[in-house]
Amino acid sequence: MIRYVVVIISVLLFYMEPIFGLFSPIELNGDFYVLVPRFLIIYLIFIAIYYDRKRAMLYGLIFGLLYDVFFIDIIGLYSFIFPLMCLVASFIVRFVHHHLLVATILTLLLVAVVEIVLFLFYTSIGIKAMTFADFYQFNLIPTMIANSVFILMFGWAFKYILLNRFNQKLLLLQK
Amino acid sequence: MPQFFSNKRLVLLLVGMIFLVALISFSLRDRNHASLPEQLIKDVVGFGQTMFSKPTQYVTGIFNNVESLLNTYDENKRLKARLEDYATLQASVNDLQLENEEIRKIIDKEESLRAFNPIQSTVIARNPDQWEEKIIIDKGEIHGVDVNMAVMTSQGLIGKVILTTPYTSTVELLSTQNPNYRVSAVIADEQEVFGLIEGYDVERKELVLKRIDSEFEVKKGQKVTTSGLGGIFPKGILIGEVTEVTTDDYGLTQLAYVKPAASFSILDHVIISKRSINPVDGTDGGNTEADLTEGAGEES
Repeated sequence: MIRYVVVIISVLLFYMEPIFGLFSPIELNGDFYVLVPRFLIIYLIFIAIYYDRKRAMLYGLIFGLLYDVFFIDIIGLYSFIFPLMCLVASFIVRFVHHHLLVATILTLLLVAVVEIVLFLFYTSIGIKAMTFADFYQFNLIPTMIANSVFILMFGWAFKYILLNRFNQKLLLLQK
Repeated sequence: MPQFFSNKRLVLLLVGMIFLVALISFSLRDRNHASLPEQLIKDVVGFGQTMFSKPTQYVTGIFNNVESLLNTYDENKRLKARLEDYATLQASVNDLQLENEEIRKIIDKEESLRAFNPIQSTVIARNPDQWEEKIIIDKGEIHGVDVNMAVMTSQGLIGKVILTTPYTSTVELLSTQNPNYRVSAVIADEQEVFGLIEGYDVERKELVLKRIDSEFEVKKGQKVTTSGLGGIFPKGILIGEVTEVTTDDYGLTQLAYVKPAASFSILDHVIISKRSINPVDGTDGGNTEADLTEGAGEES
């Protein structure tokens, strides 16, 4: 049962992202603040930390590909970034404690890295012209705030589900 | 780094990188056509997305209803004040419409650039990373949507269709920074002044109307609509209002900043306009004029 929950949550998050995207950009005092929902990559990084790195990278590849084809029509962008972030997360987590707070901070850092990589990519191919200061003020900060709220709300649940699944798998292996 | 890069992994990583760079450059080259597997993925994902966005829109609809209920008293007061003007305006519009029809009959001209078939559609997703101004809607080729058709809300023009699959299509909003994005526009006030909407000023959050003949006088507050002369859009869709007029970089023509009439931030229901007169790929589209010069390009 819990085996499927891991997949179902990622599908749910994949579909929830664009719906939350509909509420953005938010207008405050004549300025537009862009909030980018990054639920899926947060969840994938949690999978990489608490459950299985290979599984996380595989999901990252598949969902990244769907993301590329459906939304941005540049194939290979997210399908590269998602697995890479999972790989980096699993590499770093070997040297630090598996505490939820550490995982949260690590995930937020990696989400910021994703945003910055995308900023560099889009400005370098000329789709968007934007200074880093503008990006920092109107995209990065609001996005990080929105996503930290998301992690604070659901991080413990992700950890609970994924650790359960991890222990279940360990038991199966021991038998 | 201990054991992070073994030889086998390094080779795999490098091959993967090369493959991805190749894929990215391949898909960047021709972004306005979806290949068959892409179309398939888009339709399947789009179907799932519709399942998720319909209930969400129902819920947000309820919230909006409550909000408008709270504003009812204020609105009612303001609307009552306007009602009298409205009645006289309506009467004169009816009169003019009738007269227009009669005159058209007399000169045997049935078709009009203004006429279009509206296709009602729901926004199912906004490109969640928002680097490009794109939305995805739930009507596609099967429903008669075609590339380059105008997309609007009840307030005014918001963008055009850039990609279609059988059941979904992608719309690029007017607020894009794509330099090849043009809309043929007109300021119709006493005399018709033509120009091209080319580009969006991010700082001012306004559209830029370029190539206005400097002989004409353009004033602040005038309404800008689509001209229908770009080949694809119907005539008379409201784009926005002029806020400032200057000369362009070379001093030859005028340039006006236009505040868009429609808001691009929260979109749910949009209308795609399929115009009744045959479309031509003019300035509104890729500017190839392929329909007019058919066969000419192939020989050379």
